[in-house]
Amino acid sequence: MMRWSKLGKVFDPTEFKGPRWMSEFAQAPSVLEFDDTLRVYFACRPPADSSGQYVSFLGSATVRKDDLRKVVGVSETPVLTLGERGTFDEFGTYPVSVIRYGDEIRAYYGGWTRCESVPFNVAIGLAVSTDGGETFRKVGTGPVLSYSVNEPFIISGPKIRRFQDKWFLFYIAGERWLRGPDGRPEPVYRIRLATSDDGIDWTKLDRDLIKRKIEPYECQASPDVFYLNGKYHMYFCYRYSIDYRNAVRGYRIGYASSTDLLNWERDDSKAGIDVSESGWDSEMLSYPHVFSIDGQVYMYYLGNQVGRYGFGLARLEGTL
Amino acid sequence: MRWEKLGIIFKPSDHNLPYGCTEFAQSPQALVLRDRVRVYFSTRSRDEHGKFLSHIAFVDFEPDLSRIIDVSREPVIDLGELGCFDEHGIFPMNVVRYGDHVYGFTCGWSRRVSVSVETSIGLAVSSDDGVTFQKIGNGPILSSSVEEPFLVGDPFVRIYGSEWHMWYIHGTKWLANDDGSPAERVYKIAHATSTDGRRWKRSGRRLISDSLNADECQALPTVVEFRGRFHMYFCYREAIDFRANRSRGYRLGYAYSDDLVNWTRDDANAGISRIDEGWDSEMMCYPHLVGLDDDLYLLYNGNQFGRLGFGAARLVS
Repeated sequence: MMRWSKLGKVFDPTEFKGPRWMSEFAQAPSVLEFDDTLRVYFACRPPADSSGQYVSFLGSATVRKDDLRKVVGVSETPVLTLGERGTFDEFGTYPVSVIRYGDEIRAYYGGWTRCESVPFNVAIGLAVSTDGGETFRKVGTGPVLSYSVNEPFIISGPKIRRFQDKWFLFYIAGERWLRGPDGRPEPVYRIRLATSDDGIDWTKLDRDLIKRKIEPYECQASPDVFYLNGKYHMYFCYRYSIDYRNAVRGYRIGYASSTDLLNWERDDSKAGIDVSESGWDSEMLSYPHVFSIDGQVYMYYLGNQVGRYGFGLARLEGTL
Repeated sequence: MRWEKLGIIFKPSDHNLPYGCTEFAQSPQALVLRDRVRVYFSTRSRDEHGKFLSHIAFVDFEPDLSRIIDVSREPVIDLGELGCFDEHGIFPMNVVRYGDHVYGFTCGWSRRVSVSVETSIGLAVSSDDGVTFQKIGNGPILSSSVEEPFLVGDPFVRIYGSEWHMWYIHGTKWLANDDGSPAERVYKIAHATSTDGRRWKRSGRRLISDSLNADECQALPTVVEFRGRFHMYFCYREAIDFRANRSRGYRLGYAYSDDLVNWTRDDANAGISRIDEGWDSEMMCYPHLVGLDDDLYLLYNGNQFGRLGFGAARLVS
C-alpha cells in the first residue's frame, strides 16, 4: 500500500516577502537536479490589477538535497519574459515543466492570452536555457503545441518526459466551456499525450488518457509521470468543473499506472494522499510533481487555493 | 494578362439573406456545379453588443455569371461554440470538390482583449453539393505554431495529382500604436501540403516577396493553373492608415510559378487595377480566380472591403 507522509509547506510567497512579481502563488512545482541542490521552478504572480486580472511569471527556488524543505535561494527576476502583444503567452507563463537534455535545459510552459467571450486561452510554448537554467530563451514567438480539431482550446499543463529515447509530452486539452451559476464560463479539460523525436514537432495521440470518475465533465490536470519498478506511474489532480473553489468539489490527487505509456489504469485508491484535517492543504490538493533523490521518492504539491500560499512536500512510505 | 471589368455582380442589399444580413459580401469563393456557379461570401450581422459577426452565405449564378438564380435562404455553416476559434465569424470559406463531398476550408475568427482578433483555419464537409456544411470538429486543422505565432487564415486549397496544396496567411507582428488606438496586424502568404486535406505540413517559408515595405500586409491568395503555368492573385496594403487612405489601401498583386515552389512576384502584369471612379476606385481586395468553360474569371471586392458587394472581371488576353 502506498502512502505519503506529509512533511509540510516548503515555500510560501506570501510569507517570503520577495520581489513584487512573486507576491502570491507558487504553482506547479517542477524540479531540476544539481549536485547538492534542487532547483524548483514554479509560476507566481504580482498582485492583481485594478480589474482583478493576474499575470503569471516563472520563478525558481533552490533547496538543499539533504533537506528538501530548506530553501537556500530564490530567483530575483523571472526566468522567462512574457510574450509581445498578440502572442500566445502575453499574459502569463503557467504551468511549467523542465528537463535536462545534453547541455541545455528545456522548459515547456503554458502561455496565456485573454479572450473576449471566455476569460483566457492557453497553448504550450518551449524555451531553452544554455546557462544552467538561470534564464530561458523561447524557440519562437508562437507555441510548439497548439489547437487542433479535437483539442479546440486550452492546451496546457505540460509535463515533459524522455522515455525510450523519445519525447513524451503529457498535457491537458480543453473540451468545452460550461456556464457556471453566475454566468462565468468555466473550462472542462482532460489529460492527453503527444510524442516527438525532437521535442518540437509533436504528434498528438488524440484521445483521452485517463477515465473520468466523479462526473462527466470532471477536470483533470497535472499529469505527472514517473517510472519505477518496471511500471509508469501517473499522479494527477482532478476536480468538479463548476463551483470548485471549495473543499468539497475542489482538487484532489488521483493515480494511474501503465506499462506502455499509452494505456492507463486509473486507481485513485492508490494515490495515498488526501487533504489534511486543518492547515494549508485542508481544502484541496493539486499539481503533484513526483521525483526521487537518492532512492527516496518525494512529491511536491499545492494546497488550498491552488498554490496561492505555495507548495509543500511529501515522502513516499513503502514503494510504488 | 489583361482583364475586362464586368462591374459589380452581387449586392447583398438587394436580397434576403440569413441572419438578417444586409451589408457585406466579402471574399467571393466559387463552386462550379452542373447547372450553376455557387459563389460563397461572408456577410455580417451584429451581436447583442453591436459587434459584427461574419456568416457564410451563397448566391447561385447562371454558368456564365450572367444572371442570379437564387441566394441561400438558410444558414450554410454555424459559427463556433463558446470559446471556439470560429465563435465570432467565418471569413472566408474556400470550397473544394472531393468525390461526392465538398470541403469547406474556413477562416474562423474569435475576439481577443489586447488585440482585436485571432484566427485559425477549420474544415467543414458538405454532402449536399454545398448547401450546408458540418464541421469535422470544434477545433481548427491549422493554427498557430512556433514560427507562425498568430492569425493563421485565408485558406485557398487545390488538389494537383494526389497532393493537396493550401495557400494561406499568418501573422508576423502586431503593431502597437502610441496613441492608444487598436494595434494593427501584419501578415504574409504561406503554403502547406497534405495527402488528405485534414493533416497539413507547412512549407515553412515565405512565398511572396514584399513590394511596399517589410510591414506590407498580404492577404487572400488565389491560385489557378492556366495554360501551363500557375498564377496567383492576392491583395496587399500598408499595415496602418489603410481604411480610408486610397494610397495605402488594398490593391491586387500577382505572382507566377512553374513548380508551385518558387513564385515570382510581378504586380506590373496583374492586368487589373483601381480606376478613377466607381465601386472599385478606392480599393480592390479578396480576389478569387475561377475557370468557367474556356474563360478565366476574377471575382473580387471593391471599396470598403466589400460592404456593397462583389464584382467580376474576365481575362481577355
